[in-house]
Amino acid sequence: MEEILKMKLLLVDDEEKFVSRLAERLELRGFEADWSTTSEDALAKVSAEKYDIAVLDVKMPTMSGIDLKNRIEKMAPGIKFIFVTGHGSEQDYDTVCREAVCCIIKPFKIEALVEKIEQALNI
Amino acid sequence: MEKICAEGLTFFGKTNRLISHELKNILAIISETLGLQDELMELSESGMGLTPERLRSMSDSIIEEVERANTVIRCMNTFAHSVDEFVREVDLNEAVSLAIQLVKLNPFSKTVKIEFLETGSRAIYTSPFFLEALLYHAIHFALSAAAADKHIKVSLLADSDGAGVEISGIAPNGFEAFPTKQTALLTKAVGAEISFDMSHGKFHFVLPQKITGTPAEALLVKQ
Repeated sequence: MEEILKMKLLLVDDEEKFVSRLAERLELRGFEADWSTTSEDALAKVSAEKYDIAVLDVKMPTMSGIDLKNRIEKMAPGIKFIFVTGHGSEQDYDTVCREAVCCIIKPFKIEALVEKIEQALNI
Repeated sequence: MEKICAEGLTFFGKTNRLISHELKNILAIISETLGLQDELMELSESGMGLTPERLRSMSDSIIEEVERANTVIRCMNTFAHSVDEFVREVDLNEAVSLAIQLVKLNPFSKTVKIEFLETGSRAIYTSPFFLEALLYHAIHFALSAAAADKHIKVSLLADSDGAGVEISGIAPNGFEAFPTKQTALLTKAVGAEISFDMSHGKFHFVLPQKITGTPAEALLVKQ
């Protein structure tokens, strides 16, 4: 667990209330977590900082989470990804999980996200 | 005829997915807010600051999200009732308002302003469901093809021009993909006539006062 707490997270979701509060809760647990509400801001952050994990919303206004993942990967090879989706169908889950090793469906318990973070780092 | 039915089912499914996605987003915000509130209150018991203002702000936020969810559910309910009667009198202002609310459930719609210039009430006798589908696809297209100022305006036609809807704010090259497959099919279904003015970035469709003799009406099971 101590190793995980040294990791730097970037959370990206267009719902500011959701992503800012999630970041704050992760910080209370000892993580270092930045957040963005736009893909443009996320890319700017990635170019300025080194992140270990990016937690991305799948559906965003100007760029999908999958497209954002591809852009981030080019800038920061080796970064791990977790997708967050509001879609609940098995088909949607399978589609998204083909693009990232880990994905999680909103709303979720924060402990479940922490487990996904551990899972992502162990791959 | 089968294509119209298939398009109707596709629209119904898509709309439900959009509503579900929006409600999940709202639930996620409420969940995180309550979780954070709970954790900060625990910390405050050990003397770490949780100001009443912060607590109130989070509570207000939850109330806002509950109201947002209520709006979405009202919209869902109105949409669900659009199939109660296959044809009936439909208020165009209400139909356009609902279509705009449904289009706004798409994440990409946040980047474009939609302005509905409501005028006096105007009613036609048509299929509320297929009219809704047509309006949805027309406004959705407009948003995806919006001009640089990202401002779409929707209005009813003047009485002298017949019952119909005008949508403006389209980019000059936006009409290359117009009419879309769905718009063309649904225009035919409700017996509308569509025309566009590329130089002014707008299009409109005129709707028949009564749906008699249209493909959508033919779908009605004769008693």
